Formats: sequence, C-alpha cells, structure tokens
Amino acid sequence: MSGKVLLETIDLKKDFGGNQVLKGISTQICQGEVVAIIGPSGCGKSTFLRSLNLLETPTSGSVIFEGKEITAPKTDVNKIRQKIGMVFQQFNLFANLSIKDNITLAPVKLGLMSVEEAGKRAAELLERVGLPDKAESYPSMLSGGQKQRIAIARALAMNPDVMLFDEPTSALDPEMVGEVLELMKELARDGMTMVVVTHEMGFAREVASRVMFINEGVICEENNPKEFFENPRNQRLQDFLSKVL
Amino acid sequence: MQSFIDEFTRNFIVDNRYQYITVGFVNTLIISFFAVLVGIVVGFLVAIIRSGHDRTGHMKIANFICQVYLTVMRGTPTMLQVLITYYVIFASANVSKIFVAVVAFGLNSGAYVAEIVRSGIMSVDEGQFEAGRSLGLNYRQTMQFIIVPQAFKNVLPALGNEFIVLLKETSISGYIGLTDLTHGGDIIRGITFSAFMPLIAVALIYLLLVTGLSWCVNRLERRLRVSER
Repeated sequence: MSGKVLLETIDLKKDFGGNQVLKGISTQICQGEVVAIIGPSGCGKSTFLRSLNLLETPTSGSVIFEGKEITAPKTDVNKIRQKIGMVFQQFNLFANLSIKDNITLAPVKLGLMSVEEAGKRAAELLERVGLPDKAESYPSMLSGGQKQRIAIARALAMNPDVMLFDEPTSALDPEMVGEVLELMKELARDGMTMVVVTHEMGFAREVASRVMFINEGVICEENNPKEFFENPRNQRLQDFLSKVL
Repeated sequence: MQSFIDEFTRNFIVDNRYQYITVGFVNTLIISFFAVLVGIVVGFLVAIIRSGHDRTGHMKIANFICQVYLTVMRGTPTMLQVLITYYVIFASANVSKIFVAVVAFGLNSGAYVAEIVRSGIMSVDEGQFEAGRSLGLNYRQTMQFIIVPQAFKNVLPALGNEFIVLLKETSISGYIGLTDLTHGGDIIRGITFSAFMPLIAVALIYLLLVTGLSWCVNRLERRLRVSER
C-alpha cells in the first residue's frame, strides 16, 4: 500500500429512517489498490460503496476524494462523479440508447470529447471488452454478461481514477460470471484502483490487494487476502467464511 | 335512392351549406392541433416539476402551483372551463374564439398529460437514473437524455388516448359560439330541420379523424420500439 491515498472515509454513518446501516466507517483506499468488500447481506457493504460517490448521502462523517472533501456542502458532486466510475449489479445500461451511445453519451454531453473522439474511444473500449460488433445493438439484445462488460466500458469511457463495483456478477447466470471477472482482472492488472463489493471469494482471494469484511455497519476485519482467508481473527468472519467457502 | 340524393342536396349543396362543415372541420383541426401542443408543453413541464419535487424535495413552490393547477383542471367540467375562459378571463379582451378554445382545451389537456407523463417517469427504473448520475450527468441531463425518452415511449399509448379525447372534447366549442365541426353540422340541422344527414356526416368525419390519429400514434410507437427488438 505505497501509493497515495485516493479515497478516504472518516467515521461514515448512514441512517435509513432510524435504522443505522453504517455505524462509523473509516478507511483509506490508495492508488492502484483493489479492495474487495465482503459481508453478509444487509450488512451495509453496498450502502458504503454507494456513499463513496454520494449516490447515498451519508448522515454524518466525510468522504475525501483526491484530497477534497466531497461531502462538504458546496462541492460540485457531478464533477467528482466524472472521476469515479460505477458498475451496478443490474447493469443499468440506458435502454433507449444503442451500445455506442451508451458509451459516448456522458463524455460528449459533458463536453469532455467531441462526437468523433468519443466514437473512436467507444470503438477501442468495445474492442477491449471483447464486443467490437455490438456498437449498433441495443441493451435488450445482449446477454447479462455482455451487458455488464458494456457497463464497464461505459464507465471506462470517462477515464475514471477509481472504479466502484456493486456486486457486478450477482445478477449473472453462472456461465457468464467468468467473462466479467476476467475483464475485471485485466483492469486490476492494468493498475486501475477498484473497490468491489462481491460474493466471489475466488476473485477476492486472487485479485484483491486487500479484503474488507463489513458486518452490522462496521469494518470487522481487513487484511491482505492470504491472511484474511487463512487466518481470520474475527469470530463473525470465521463463521461467515465457514459458510461461504 | 332519389330521396337520399334529395336529402343530400338539401343539406349540403343548396346555398353551399357544406361550407358549415368545412369551416367547422378546419376550426376543429386548428383547435385540436394547437391545444395538443399546449397540452404537451404544459404537461411535460408540470410532470418534470412534480417528479423532480418527489425525488429531490426541491421546487416546493412550483410543485404547489402545479398541484393547484391539476386540482382545478381535473376537478371542474371542461365545458365550464371553456365558458369561464371566454366569458370571464378574456371577457374584456378582444381575442378570437379560436384562441380562447386553444387556451382552454390546451390547459385542460395539460393536466391529464402531466399525470400521464409523471406516471411514465416513475415507471422508468431507478437504476437508469443512478447510472446517469454516476457518470457525472446532472439532474437535468439525466432526465433529458435518459429518463424522459424512455418515459415518453412508455406512455405513448396513454398519450394517444388523451389526444383522441381532446379532439372529441372540442365539440363543445359551440357553447362559445364557435363554429367547430359539431356546431357546423348542427347549424345545418337548424336550417334544414333534418337531423340524420348532417349529424351522421359529422360523426363520420370525427371517426375518420380519430382513426387517422390512432394510426399516426401507432406508427410512432412502432418506430420508438426499435430498441426492444
């Protein structure tokens, strides 16, 4: 963990109508890190991830991205989000747009690229995710795995500094999980900073530089994958691992 | 057969009486067309304000105004609205009856369009909105490029229905002395004292208009469905 700190949370808390989902999470994510977040469902791991780009507004505490406190009142959140890519469990490709337009919409409308540049970039990204012939297709014509690869390409088109993955393979048929994980592995190898909420223990063990176990709104344990899986210290983590491994 | 031709001649040909129908037809078309435009503009505006308020909690005053508008427009008879627009609101202003009808029917339709469009916006999956925002698009851009196009496609059948209702509702324009299609036919009936010919003719013309309108809406629906193949 030698890179500079990219994302930091300080005592992050989130209530949903009196139900405290995050009970104070403080952590740092450094450049180039791949952090896998695991935990039982309802433990707050997705809420934590969604707080990092303020899709959920924290009740208290702060999120600091590249040295700026983005939870501060006057922050231009839209500007910040351009640098934080996000991939959703349900893909959320824009149903009304072709694959190419899905990828080019944000860079063009936000004035970051011309239509031609964005088109070229989209072609490159489609090549990279292995779907060069799908530019003119619509999301409804694709399989789940293809949709998720396009969603990753769409996020990459913004040249983000960090990518958030919210259970990216949980809605996929088993035979499509591999293609998406493979793409994520490549991203990690290329040095992308990634925060991944996942149930894929194999991915966490193999790709992550750090694994974080969240339970009942707090980080119970975090460690490098080897220590994390072979020598879990927290009792609740030991129970959890014994059930999922 | 001879009596049919006689009847036809007496109702439509003598004294160029068919002109009551043609003038009324044109007026009905003008009123419906511009009222639909007003309805779409007002309806989308109100729907976007209302759903924006529901999602973000902003625009409290605008939302309140919209709610008053919806309550009044949906809570009083259309005919009364036309009468009030003509005899009260524009009583002292020298404006054409067509203009009055466009305003009255347009604002009335806008209330229904607003709720139709709002239901369409709410029917679009929340994930579409989040995906747009996560890329850095602001609220307006996300609505404009992602949510509203999908909402529009979803509500097109209901919108088509509303426009059919509007077209037929303009038949009460006669109450402010405006010669629309229905009123035109009724004038002929008043002159010739024969009801069958002019009223059935008018009914057939409405039927044709509505059929044509449905056809256009259906075509548009099919074109917008390319993304679902």
